[in-house]
Amino acid sequence: MIVLTSLALLLLALLGAPLFAIIAGSALLAYSREEVDLSAVAIEFFSLAEMPVLVAIPLFTFAGYLLSESGAPARLVRVTRALFGWMPGGLAVVSLAACAFFTAFTGASGVTIIALGAILYPALATAGYPDRFNLGLVTSAGSLGLLFAPSLPLILYGVVARIPIDDLFVAGLLPGLLMLVMLAGYAIFVNRNRRQSFADFSWREVAGALREAIWELPLPFVVLGGIYSGYFAVSEAAAVTALYVLLVDVVVLREVALSRLPGIMRESMLLVGGIMIILGFSLASTNIMIDAGVPQQLLEWIGTFVSDQTTFLLLTLVFLLLLGAILDIFSALVLVVPLLLPVATSFGVDPIHLGMVFLATMQLGYLTPPVGLNLFIAGYRFNKSIVDVYLSTLPFFAILLISVVIIAFWPNLSLWLLSLS
Amino acid sequence: MIRRLSRLVQWIEDGALVLVLVGLIGLASLQILLRNGFDTGVAWGDEAIRLMVLWLAVLGAVAASRGDRHIRIDILGRLLPPRLKLVAALIVDVFTIAVLCVLTWHASRFVRDAIEFEDRLLDGLPAWWFQLILPVGFGLMALHQLAVALLRVVGKAPTSEPGSTETP
Repeated sequence: MIVLTSLALLLLALLGAPLFAIIAGSALLAYSREEVDLSAVAIEFFSLAEMPVLVAIPLFTFAGYLLSESGAPARLVRVTRALFGWMPGGLAVVSLAACAFFTAFTGASGVTIIALGAILYPALATAGYPDRFNLGLVTSAGSLGLLFAPSLPLILYGVVARIPIDDLFVAGLLPGLLMLVMLAGYAIFVNRNRRQSFADFSWREVAGALREAIWELPLPFVVLGGIYSGYFAVSEAAAVTALYVLLVDVVVLREVALSRLPGIMRESMLLVGGIMIILGFSLASTNIMIDAGVPQQLLEWIGTFVSDQTTFLLLTLVFLLLLGAILDIFSALVLVVPLLLPVATSFGVDPIHLGMVFLATMQLGYLTPPVGLNLFIAGYRFNKSIVDVYLSTLPFFAILLISVVIIAFWPNLSLWLLSLS
Repeated sequence: MIRRLSRLVQWIEDGALVLVLVGLIGLASLQILLRNGFDTGVAWGDEAIRLMVLWLAVLGAVAASRGDRHIRIDILGRLLPPRLKLVAALIVDVFTIAVLCVLTWHASRFVRDAIEFEDRLLDGLPAWWFQLILPVGFGLMALHQLAVALLRVVGKAPTSEPGSTETP
């Protein structure tokens, strides 16, 4: 009976049932099997209101959406161009850096490709880069920066794994930089014959770009400086960011008309609601699974064929790659981390390190069919077939895969900065 | 008539969402100002913030239901021929509506219990005021899903193109 209902739920999920309904359905079934009053599902869901860090999610998401609707993406590109444009393959590096920065703020929800890709893709073509390279670059850069504060998946991992989010923000710096540097290195290598640099370095342009972006400049300092220095709690930084972006874009610069604000709020909260409703019901389904001893069984089962950490990490990588291909990062986080974490800890994997491996691997999921979100968004946005987009991202995918392996087998890359403090 | 009603419902839902989000930004900022500037704070502030986040989550999910834009996997559905695709989508709709109805029922029992036991939140306010969002939200989601299913039958369901700020 259990097998039958699980198969039915799986089939419904594959047919496109909303994931929250699948999870809520399985929680309801499990509760009724264990003869727990079904209103317990509602009680568990309501415990969302007992998690103080969650407030960072709507606030950062709203700020990110609002930023992407303003002139900030264009100004961000100008600043990065003024700073890095002189390098060989400069514009490619510019694109990667700008995307990573922007994704950290918008939480890797596909907004980056829409907001920045629209500026960068034509700019790369004008600068004479090959089309396939540009398409691959813009598509794969759309989720780069996932490991940088204050990205939404990073916060969500902290919530689910019950780890201080500040620690995750610190831990994500080096692995995130590794991904960025490796992709930039590849971009420079591919365009090594493109000797003519994209823009001459001029202090004047730097000053001009900075002056234009004067209102956005404090943001990274407030958010990153505030959090990394410990002056702000994560939720406080989120509130300051949301208020600041709101004031700057609507009142000071007036780039977003007041009348468009409700629409932007709705769009951003739609994402937040979509994620948090899954989180809410998974609280219920995870609890019943832990009560039923699923993590222990999982551990025993894995223990029968895995004995050392290296094999475990290797298997985890393969598993996460497959998972990332069918599940988006938010649902995967909420559903899998509670089960994977106890197993990983018993193999001596640090929870923070596991988080980096998890998120970095899931980032690849954005680029893998059948459900790689970036592939669809880029295909739709740039009017290309999915197959074209997919093939163009392959070299970038390979580079990111190598970086993921490095992150997985070099724990100190994630943990070293933390050990300093 | 139905169209006017649905527009009214949308207006109320969106209005509530905007109100709660603006309130959340305001209150959270005020707390920081008070804490850092005056070393004080609204006593019930942090709890209110957490409740607002819950409300936002539910209201956002309701908005997602209205546009049929919830996070889903949808591998098989994409591969089916159009006719079967419609059938599959309707089966999925029926399942989703059923789950939401069960949730609405049990969430309202949860609220009823809170009324009966006079649970309190936020310095003595009745807890059910805040818990009410659960049955109401789940109920609205069920209604929206029903509307989506009906529109699907007549071929007018909202299509969510990838990239139209659609989320994963």
